[in-house]
Amino acid sequence: MLRIEFQIQPAGISSKLFGLEEQVRSIEIDNALPVTGDRIFLFLTAQFDADVSEERLASQLPETQIVDMAKAEVNQHTYYLGVIVDISEASVLALLTEHRAIPHRIVGRNAHLDVIATVRDWNHLKDVAGTIEDEHGSLELVGTTQTETIGFPLGGNKVKQSMSGKLSDKQLEVLETAYRMGYFRVPQEVTAEEIANELDISRSTLSERLRRVEHNFCELLFGPQE
Amino acid sequence: MTTILLIKSADQHPSVRETLDSVAEPGETVYFLRLPTVRCLGELIQEVNPMIEYDVEYTISCLPTGYEVADVVDFAVDVEADRICIGIFERTLTGKARIDDLTQSILLHEHVSGDLVVGDHAIILENLDYDQ
Repeated sequence: MLRIEFQIQPAGISSKLFGLEEQVRSIEIDNALPVTGDRIFLFLTAQFDADVSEERLASQLPETQIVDMAKAEVNQHTYYLGVIVDISEASVLALLTEHRAIPHRIVGRNAHLDVIATVRDWNHLKDVAGTIEDEHGSLELVGTTQTETIGFPLGGNKVKQSMSGKLSDKQLEVLETAYRMGYFRVPQEVTAEEIANELDISRSTLSERLRRVEHNFCELLFGPQE
Repeated sequence: MTTILLIKSADQHPSVRETLDSVAEPGETVYFLRLPTVRCLGELIQEVNPMIEYDVEYTISCLPTGYEVADVVDFAVDVEADRICIGIFERTLTGKARIDDLTQSILLHEHVSGDLVVGDHAIILENLDYDQ
């Protein structure tokens, strides 16, 4: 199987969200569930430039039924949206599944959609990419890799989802950088000093952020501290 | 068997070695097809030494200035290539082999099909079939 990443122009709900008066920084489709008929229930994470209200969004998105909207606890101006839309509003998702490709991530930022999906082989890639290119006007392949397993489909990454509301972007950045540089390996592959340099923060800020991350992890696992 | 190795840079030793090592078979012909921007392959060839070290025949050809994907495909049809190997020069943050415009055009070309394998240093298209 091949894991592929490609970029396309936003369409449907994503282009509507990018077209809002309120500036949208990023949108991600976290999950999608069928509704009777040609409707689909989408769960989105959207980060705006400033706070927004459900009324403001509803008035600008007349054909979108906003079922739920919740503000993220940690990250600024970030909302979890549950919306019901026509399936054609989620066209890349529909095209992928129609062609038996597995969608993993659909993220909108900087006015384009970044999509990661799994296809069976080269022919399947041509088939899927060709159809999406026809519908969306253009498609740019970004990368590919070989994979043995389907991996997590859209919305399958529960750990990441439950963490995303509990850790701020900055804390996640610290954790990811430390992890990628080999800080948690035995023996350690980098020193705290090197990670701090990489992130352009002081050593004490690094250790404080890492401790907060660990504390939040434990809170998620074991509940609040007595 | 016939292999085309697309040369995008005079220092793509890793993909050349991977192709000669684990893709091409002894005795087969390998076509080094270089982009017009790649000037001299002498050093690369000398270092890799395809005939002595890998026992393959090789030929060096060049794509015309202002080449298009059709030039690559026409070349592949002319030499009846079974494989096309494309060097990987960069990976994305998640480790995917980055695909440039020419590679995309080859991958999505309607008249070329076969198997796609992503190696460590090269994207390998094999068992090629040309539907002209």
